[in-house]
Amino acid sequence: MPDEDWPADQELLRRHVAGDAEAFGELFRRHRDRLWAVALRTLCDPEEAADALQDAMVSAFRRAADFRGESAVTTWLHRIVVNASLDRLRRRAARPALPTGDEQAFESLVAQDGDPARATDTRLDVNAALRLLPPQQRAALVLVDMLGFSVADAAAILDTSPGTVKSRCARARARLLPHLAHLQGNRSDSQSVSPGQGGET
Amino acid sequence: MTHLDTDVLAEFRAGLITGRRGARITAHLAGCDRCATLDDQLAGVSVLLASVPVPALPDRVAQRLDTALAAEVARRDDAERARGDGTAESPAPRRPRGNRGFRPLALRVLAPAAAVILLAAGGYGLSHAGLGSSSGSTASSAEGAAKSASSPTPPAARRANAPEAAPAGITGTIVLVPGGKDFSRAGLAQQVEAVLHAPAASTTRASGQLLGCVLGLAGGHPLQRVESIRFEGRPATLVVARTGADDTAWIVGPDCSATDPHVLAMTSLPSGISGP
Repeated sequence: MPDEDWPADQELLRRHVAGDAEAFGELFRRHRDRLWAVALRTLCDPEEAADALQDAMVSAFRRAADFRGESAVTTWLHRIVVNASLDRLRRRAARPALPTGDEQAFESLVAQDGDPARATDTRLDVNAALRLLPPQQRAALVLVDMLGFSVADAAAILDTSPGTVKSRCARARARLLPHLAHLQGNRSDSQSVSPGQGGET
Repeated sequence: MTHLDTDVLAEFRAGLITGRRGARITAHLAGCDRCATLDDQLAGVSVLLASVPVPALPDRVAQRLDTALAAEVARRDDAERARGDGTAESPAPRRPRGNRGFRPLALRVLAPAAAVILLAAGGYGLSHAGLGSSSGSTASSAEGAAKSASSPTPPAARRANAPEAAPAGITGTIVLVPGGKDFSRAGLAQQVEAVLHAPAASTTRASGQLLGCVLGLAGGHPLQRVESIRFEGRPATLVVARTGADDTAWIVGPDCSATDPHVLAMTSLPSGISGP
């Protein structure tokens, strides 16, 4: 029976290291939509995301021989993309926030997701809210809540412990809540509370 | 008991607070509507984030990645070739090319480029073969053309064989015409037109960096000519592609690459100038 994921990722990587000129392209094309999503959500800037994804792809191409098989190939690829994205965030940390033009460019790109009529407002608010998060919290939340990685897989990608991923995600959700509660439907309209006002029990 | 702090509640939901402290929070939630609502809202954040569609990779970013990948493949080929006969880094035999359905997009683009540039060496009248298609179905024809680039086949025979012939052999190569003519900014279109009408005396293989540069500029459009020139006295490269109603000619600096084209000048040519 045909298997669209055959040959396996690891086999494609092995072929690439052995000199196969096509194997890496086949491997990267399998995963690049999700890798793009990681870069775009982490960087919140399409041009930076494109740069990061290209940097990561080239890095993976050249460093493929270093892959030891200790994690899934897709985990390894995501780790390289996340690291490239976080490196770019660190480099631009001293620079001012995104100008309006980049915001519009971001929306023009994310609108190409094949579902332009749906959830536009949600995307706008979510994208704006994500920018409020520290990079490490944002990366963890994007992987776990937006892309559906398990905490263990996200920890492997971020090269940290599962507890740290849980903590980053928890803080990120708490930080986002005041900015996203209005998108949660009628329930929050009628019963919303002001987060962060209480004290420890 | 005071109400629960959002951070504490978020950590509780993430499983970071257990034991007696967790039990106290559980008990509090059971009796406090305000905190229970806050708990629901925190759960809703994850639900909301999960509902945001995964953005598709934009075409222009995909094209850029394909171009960069093609340049990397060419760079590796260059390095292997420089070490010997191209097998130094390959303990396993290379997969025979052309016998599988998948091929990176950039190589699909590259293939017609190889055909066209090769044909350009034969003169204006030959440059129509292989134009106008960069789809996967053209991969094999492009492979044939690319293979012919390294053969001693006369230009006329290459033209006849290029579109369909093609057993195998895409190599990530374009052929550069080492023209050397000096261009100036004034009357650039006319100068380019004159070059395109003149047959190229010889060809040589372009570097991986130039390959990335050219593919990035052409953006998937059929290439008409890549020629080594001088521009206002400095070394440069002329790139001409059929970009629709008009052909486009770029003059780029020696450091042109997939990520930084370094365009020195650019002009449009009436359709058909660079080919019938």
